[in-house]
Amino acid sequence: MKQILQFDQLSCRLKVEGLPDVSVGQSGAALGIITGWSLQWAGRPELEGRKEHLLALMQVVLPYARYLISGVPRRFGAEPQPVEIGPASEGGHSLLLRSSQPDTPPLQLALDDAELADLVRVLDQLRLDARLQLPLELPAPVPLRARELLERRPLAQRLAAPLGGVLALALASGLGLLIPEPKPAAAPGRPESSQPARGATPSP
Amino acid sequence: MPQDPTAPESSARLPRRGLERLDLLLLSVEALDLNGGEAMVWMSEQMGFTSLFPNRVELWKRRCTNPLRRTTRRGALEPAETDALIRILCALADRLYPLLRGLLSTAEPPEVLSQRWALFRGRLAELIRERMNPRRSGVQLLLDPEGGARQARLLVQALSLGSGVGGFERLRASLLDAQS
Repeated sequence: MKQILQFDQLSCRLKVEGLPDVSVGQSGAALGIITGWSLQWAGRPELEGRKEHLLALMQVVLPYARYLISGVPRRFGAEPQPVEIGPASEGGHSLLLRSSQPDTPPLQLALDDAELADLVRVLDQLRLDARLQLPLELPAPVPLRARELLERRPLAQRLAAPLGGVLALALASGLGLLIPEPKPAAAPGRPESSQPARGATPSP
Repeated sequence: MPQDPTAPESSARLPRRGLERLDLLLLSVEALDLNGGEAMVWMSEQMGFTSLFPNRVELWKRRCTNPLRRTTRRGALEPAETDALIRILCALADRLYPLLRGLLSTAEPPEVLSQRWALFRGRLAELIRERMNPRRSGVQLLLDPEGGARQARLLVQALSLGSGVGGFERLRASLLDAQS
């Protein structure tokens, strides 16, 4: 009755163990209850945990990959969540796993782009495997808003064009104010003063 | 190649940037695989897209809706056509995944890695010069030594994350970015 699903890539191997949920009529080949999982990395400690931990891993890694494919590296998984992933300052990606056991320090793994792609592929293989008959609460990939894409550009670069425009306008206005206002030229054959003579009746 | 059976068909048209990026990703596949153009036609037939792209000329015409092309075609592609092109792209990326992985892995010796990148970037630049309009700033950025290197890495990374069973939805969503 025990089922094992295994997905391999060059740098990692994901193994998920479970049982079919016979209460909903699942057959012997299906996996409806996850009893445990392990993720083996080449040259790194093996990760294992319960279904909640696997779901937490998928809930941060897959959206991270979604943003990364658009060229927007964004951190996912804040403090209370067991898994966190984000871009590493020295390049690559940093995967942080917080243990539910007290007094156990979090485990930090540095992944390069190839290892991240491997991890994304095994997680994709698992979630789309027909034998896994278990609803996974994972966000569907959606297009990013223009604002989210703009945020990947540095602030100085984003402000350069509007600030340049404002400065050019201010400079042009300042220079315009420096030019003296031309005096109205006297019409030829008319007296110097344009004031009508006192008592004269204006013609219609 | 196994496909994501849960991926719904899209009803949204790709924006201009999406069309540009889709064609550049297909061009990157050609830069990775010398026989990439033929592989695209073969993959289209294998995946059952002959009704959409009956021959290589039709496939070529769809790719020419990229505004960065030297000879660009007006008009937008139908969602079914772009979905088919993305599926072909994902299948080709899956086939080329070992090559993509080899470019992205830091486990490789630096000399080997730099040679691989130089080869890929050289082929990509050659294809860009041959097919794209050099007066476009987007094309100039791709041919720029510094900016082009970053763009090439983003293209390879996008292909690696778009390969495999779940890659189609992720890649399609990214090509639809900033549409609304």
